[in-house]
Amino acid sequence: MPHVSDVLTPHDIGKFTNLQVFAKQVVEGFCSGLHRSPHKGFSVEFKEHRSYVPGDDIRSIDWKLFGKTDRLYIREYEEETNLRCTILLDSSGSMGYTGTRSHGLTKHAYAVRTAACLTYLMLQQQDSVGLVTFDKKVRRYIPPRARPKHLQAILGELEKQNPKHETELGSVFHEMVAKLHRRGLLMIISDLFGDVDQLMKSLAHFRHANHEIVIFQIWDPDELDFPFRQWTQFASLEAADNRHLVDPAQLRNAYLEKLNQFREQLANGCNRHRISLVPMTTDQPFADSLAAYLALRRRAK
Amino acid sequence: MNQALLWGAAASLIPLVIHILNRNRFRTVEWGAMHLLESVIRVNHKRFRLDQLILLLVRCSIPLLLAFCLARPVLTGTQGLEGESPVSIVILLDNSYSMETNSETGTRFEKAVEAATRLIGETSRGSEIAVILTGGIPTRLFDEPVFDSDVVIQKLSRIEGGMGASDMQAAVDEALVVLAGMSHARRECIILSDFQNHDWEVIHKDTLQAIRRQFESLEIVPELSLMQLGKPVQENISVDSLSFPRRALGVGQRLDLRANLRNHGPSNVENVRVIFRIDGVEDSVTQLQLAPSAETQVLFPGEFKTPGSHVVEVEAVTDDPLQADNRFAAAVTVWENIKVLLVDGAPSSQPLQGETDYLSVALTPLTFGRVQLLDLVETETIQVKELDEERLKKSRVVVLANVSKLSDGQLKLLETYVKDGGAVLVCGGDQLDLNWYREKMFLDGQGLLPVSFGPLLGEVGEKSSSTAVLSQRFDHVALEFFNDPSNGDLSSATIRRWYQLAVPSEASEIVTLAMLDSGDPLLVEKNYGEGVVVQMATACDADWSDFPLRPVYVPMMQQLITTMASRISPPRNIQTGDSAVALIPDLSDQVTVSVVTPDGLQRSVKTVTEGTAQLARYEETQRPGLYTMSLPSTEAIHFVAETSRAESSLDLFDEKELAALADELSATVLESPEQYLKLDRLRRHGREVWKIALAALLGLLFLELILQQRFARVRA
Repeated sequence: MPHVSDVLTPHDIGKFTNLQVFAKQVVEGFCSGLHRSPHKGFSVEFKEHRSYVPGDDIRSIDWKLFGKTDRLYIREYEEETNLRCTILLDSSGSMGYTGTRSHGLTKHAYAVRTAACLTYLMLQQQDSVGLVTFDKKVRRYIPPRARPKHLQAILGELEKQNPKHETELGSVFHEMVAKLHRRGLLMIISDLFGDVDQLMKSLAHFRHANHEIVIFQIWDPDELDFPFRQWTQFASLEAADNRHLVDPAQLRNAYLEKLNQFREQLANGCNRHRISLVPMTTDQPFADSLAAYLALRRRAK
Repeated sequence: MNQALLWGAAASLIPLVIHILNRNRFRTVEWGAMHLLESVIRVNHKRFRLDQLILLLVRCSIPLLLAFCLARPVLTGTQGLEGESPVSIVILLDNSYSMETNSETGTRFEKAVEAATRLIGETSRGSEIAVILTGGIPTRLFDEPVFDSDVVIQKLSRIEGGMGASDMQAAVDEALVVLAGMSHARRECIILSDFQNHDWEVIHKDTLQAIRRQFESLEIVPELSLMQLGKPVQENISVDSLSFPRRALGVGQRLDLRANLRNHGPSNVENVRVIFRIDGVEDSVTQLQLAPSAETQVLFPGEFKTPGSHVVEVEAVTDDPLQADNRFAAAVTVWENIKVLLVDGAPSSQPLQGETDYLSVALTPLTFGRVQLLDLVETETIQVKELDEERLKKSRVVVLANVSKLSDGQLKLLETYVKDGGAVLVCGGDQLDLNWYREKMFLDGQGLLPVSFGPLLGEVGEKSSSTAVLSQRFDHVALEFFNDPSNGDLSSATIRRWYQLAVPSEASEIVTLAMLDSGDPLLVEKNYGEGVVVQMATACDADWSDFPLRPVYVPMMQQLITTMASRISPPRNIQTGDSAVALIPDLSDQVTVSVVTPDGLQRSVKTVTEGTAQLARYEETQRPGLYTMSLPSTEAIHFVAETSRAESSLDLFDEKELAALADELSATVLESPEQYLKLDRLRRHGREVWKIALAALLGLLFLELILQQRFARVRA
């Protein structure tokens, strides 16, 4: 059965102007395909009984109640909201790039939608979610809450985003360490453009504070295969006076080599610090980020 | 070069324009991953610029070269191109007998004709063609240069080789004359020859330079080319010459003919058959062996049964590549008798007291000895007054012995007689009217007498002032008999009185036959008209010398008189190219005389009147061999045209020597007509270089591809 999320590729994004509707569609479409409902937590506090339906784990059948009623009930528990998740969304200028294959969706827009989906999903699971937007400094910090109303606050903030400034990931992350004093899960949605060493130092700093980190690295397809042919002036999205007129064919190979080197450094660094690095391109379905997140959660259990 | 197409070279600007447009009409991309791009640009910035420049240059060169190719350019050096303009061409075609050297592919001459035909056939329309045959005396194929190449080719196909030895210097001189009179702006002179060592070694270096200067001094300097035909051959046997006594020969008299044979090759040749023929009939055969590079002499004794013109021929039968020099012939005239008129200036009735008595005996010893054999010489002694036209006509030789003087009429007759080929011996003596001799007969060198009689020297009876004939080697054919001591010693005689004969040093026509010890000449000779006059300083009897008493007197006078008598004039043994001339006495009307040439062709010549006789002259004697002239009296006169046998050595100039010769003459060495035609095309149309340009173009296209690939691999 095809995932509903498969349908919701960036191509269809135009239909969803409302982030909440969008996130709901993606997350619920995604979750309906899973055997075990992610809506239910695993906490010890009893919540309610419900009728057994085929597909439920038989271990969760309340055999005592079966003895009394001769009917199969599933015993559900209130999940413990032990997860504090903070989404760190990169709003720097470089996130504003949009190529021909991403259907007018900038990397930032893609990142915003990813963040919305993640927020929606986690709030559905009664996890607390916070949001940090930043470029060269922290622009907005919404501390984590688990209330369903919190969704509005986060989505409202996400909709206001407009990427334009330079990035300084290293210093921003260092700055963040002080603010996020309780350990939790950090979801960084960024292109990670910048100095790798600085970045790794700051990530190490997070790790030192016992944060668990997953990075969704957003790529535009153009950035990965450099498809330009004719003479092009590349103007920096972050610094107005930084432009270079070049023959792209001439430096494509060098660029790709440099790119691979960069990705390799990142991968190695993340590996070293046990950080999950999930590369995403803007032409991929959004549900991939959710799948990646869930896989991560399952591993963590 | 096609100049219109060269405008295509402007297409080279296209890549430049594209480059500039590209740079100006760029697209702006707002780029995020600038930190990746920047580092690449920073590292390779300079190299990008250089690479772009190189690529741009290569791309600009491609249309440039393409336009160059399409324009089909030609290299012409500094000269303008002539295209198909006509040319004035002189071909020196060697048809000397060495060109008859045969090989598997034919004779050298055949190859030369083939080459000439090819060259002439390829000349452009309206070209002016002259062919000079260099064998013997250089001969033009046509009197004037011809504009129709077909006519020349037709005539070339009919000419034959085997002519006399080449005189290359004369041939080149002739070519210069022809070239100077030609009309086109481009002139060519091509020598087609085997370039034998001999033909060219005789030409001195200075002469070569002079020839070159002559070429260069022409109004339009012709291109000189040398084309060597044939390969060097060493094996050859030739009959180099025949030697035999040149004095008059009588019927039944023995002729000792010596044939000189030479082996030019480096190997021994055995069993060479040598055949001796008289009038075409085999007389004797001998066989001999010839060592490498050796010369040998074979003696053939022969005798003639009839008077008149005869031919002797020696042939060496071998299978060498050059047959033309295996025969050598000579024309021999055999006399029935020689009539000698002795004019006695001091006659006497006493035996041996007359002036000519001793001489008469010496000339006809057999008659006096009452032997059965006939004397060759028949003498008639007359007195001065008896000398008349009738007697002169019958005589071959007239001896004026101590004749005081002649009447004016007699002198006139005598002059005519000598002019027409007669011989006169003038002897000294006490009766001589020295003034008459000086004024009438010497006539300041214009008369019959070779030199004027000078003062009388010596005294009769006084031995102290006597002199003798100087012992020397005699060069003159009349006395060379005495070079062999066994034939007698001329110096044994004592000469007591003699006239001093002052031979002027500048008079080259006067030859001294023998000298006296005193330093005065004894015998001097002068040619007068067709005849000859010999003057003796002393008397021919025993009054002034004891010569007549010596045994040597007989052979001396015999040799002298017969030699004078046999001075066949004009000569019958001639050089190739010289005219064969026969004087036909007793004939006053013009007649047509037929001549059979060595190659068997019959020609006819008309006689011309010369004095009282008719003169038949045949000029076409370029081919060595026998020419037979048939006179109206059915008598045949034979002429043998001979040529230098130096060409029998078949060594040719090797590559180096030919190059040196070409250098001296500022000429080009050609190996084949094809090479000439190729050179000619080059001169006319230039060297086409578009193929090279095309190759370069393809190379550039390939290079562009490689560079593009290579430049994309920049440092990361």
